[in-house]
Amino acid sequence: MMNGSVIAAIDVASLGDSLFLLVVFILLLLLVKHFAWGPVTKMMDDRAKKINADLDGAETSRAQAEKMAAQRQSELKNSKSEAIQIVNTAKVNGEKRRQVILDAAQSDAESVKTKAREDAQQARTEALNSARNDVAQISVDIAEKLIGKELSVSDQKDLIDAYIKGLTSADETR
Amino acid sequence: MESKYQYLTFIGLRFNVANCLSILVTALLVFLFTFLLSRKLTVKPGKGQNVLEYLIDFTNGIVKSIMPGDEGKPFYFYIFVLFTFILFANILGLFFQVRVNGFTFTKSPTADPMVTMPLAMITLLMSHYFSVQKFGFKGYLHNFASPVSFLLPVNLIEEFTNFLTLSLRLYGNIYAGEVLIGLLIMVANSMGVVSVVLAAPMTMIWQGFSVFIGAIQAYVFSILSCVYFSRKLEREE
Repeated sequence: MMNGSVIAAIDVASLGDSLFLLVVFILLLLLVKHFAWGPVTKMMDDRAKKINADLDGAETSRAQAEKMAAQRQSELKNSKSEAIQIVNTAKVNGEKRRQVILDAAQSDAESVKTKAREDAQQARTEALNSARNDVAQISVDIAEKLIGKELSVSDQKDLIDAYIKGLTSADETR
Repeated sequence: MESKYQYLTFIGLRFNVANCLSILVTALLVFLFTFLLSRKLTVKPGKGQNVLEYLIDFTNGIVKSIMPGDEGKPFYFYIFVLFTFILFANILGLFFQVRVNGFTFTKSPTADPMVTMPLAMITLLMSHYFSVQKFGFKGYLHNFASPVSFLLPVNLIEEFTNFLTLSLRLYGNIYAGEVLIGLLIMVANSMGVVSVVLAAPMTMIWQGFSVFIGAIQAYVFSILSCVYFSRKLEREE
């Protein structure tokens, strides 16, 4: 019975079905391609492209970040050494300045000292000179009074000077 | 169980109404399926888009497993539609059979050799077309006589056996499934309640198995199509 039905199916086979299937199938191919396959595969391609681009972008940005980190690290190192240098130069400068100030103060003090010494010397000689003149006058006056006779200062000056020299030398030896 | 069909004759061609209707229903279902799932396409796929993309990846995988690389690209779309169409056609007859006045109006369209034969014919014609496109007409003819010339008759016969096996395998599997379901229904109707209780689980099991067979046959048809494509594209010495 099975055999019979198979043969019967082929017996009543209709060529129209094959034609109908061909037409419908080709129509289906066109419709599906236009409405579903095209957009979906395009979207899938787009996604693949986007993922590729994103991966590439991530790689480059990561490399950039690493580069920046390295740069920052080296900058940090540089700034440390720079700071040390700045402190060092400041120290040296301070030392120099201290030396300069010290030197200036020393020379100032020296000059003040010498000036004071010179002043003192000058005052002493001036006092000595005026005292000498005074003594000469006084001794002439006394002698006038004693002798009652006018003595010229100029006449007697050599004598008095010699006398005073003897006095001062005696004073010095004493 | 004998199915009776209505026939129409148009310009000397006989049309089986049941086949034509179910071909139309299958094509409509495939179109609606792909059309509705491909609305609102986004780069981040939603639920429907995911299903469709999974199916596309699956059928692309069938092609890639036979033809890795760029040579398989022209067949991705054809294999996708072919697989979906045969899958839908195989499963349609399992749960959607309309019968009016003893005449069947819908069934699995693939349970008829006159439907599976043009499907196989499209595949084989495509394989010949791409072979000519790749090697030129001379190279294409030369391929029949390779690797040695005395294999020419074998190669020619192979073209026909390819066509027959491809179409009749699908037809036989699906037709057998439908016949067995018909027999089980006859069993259920034979002895009242007792036989219904007996036949119901068997019918359920067989229907489940038929879904499996339908999917397997769709897969086999697609993969064999790819094999024929690749053999037509490779054999050049």
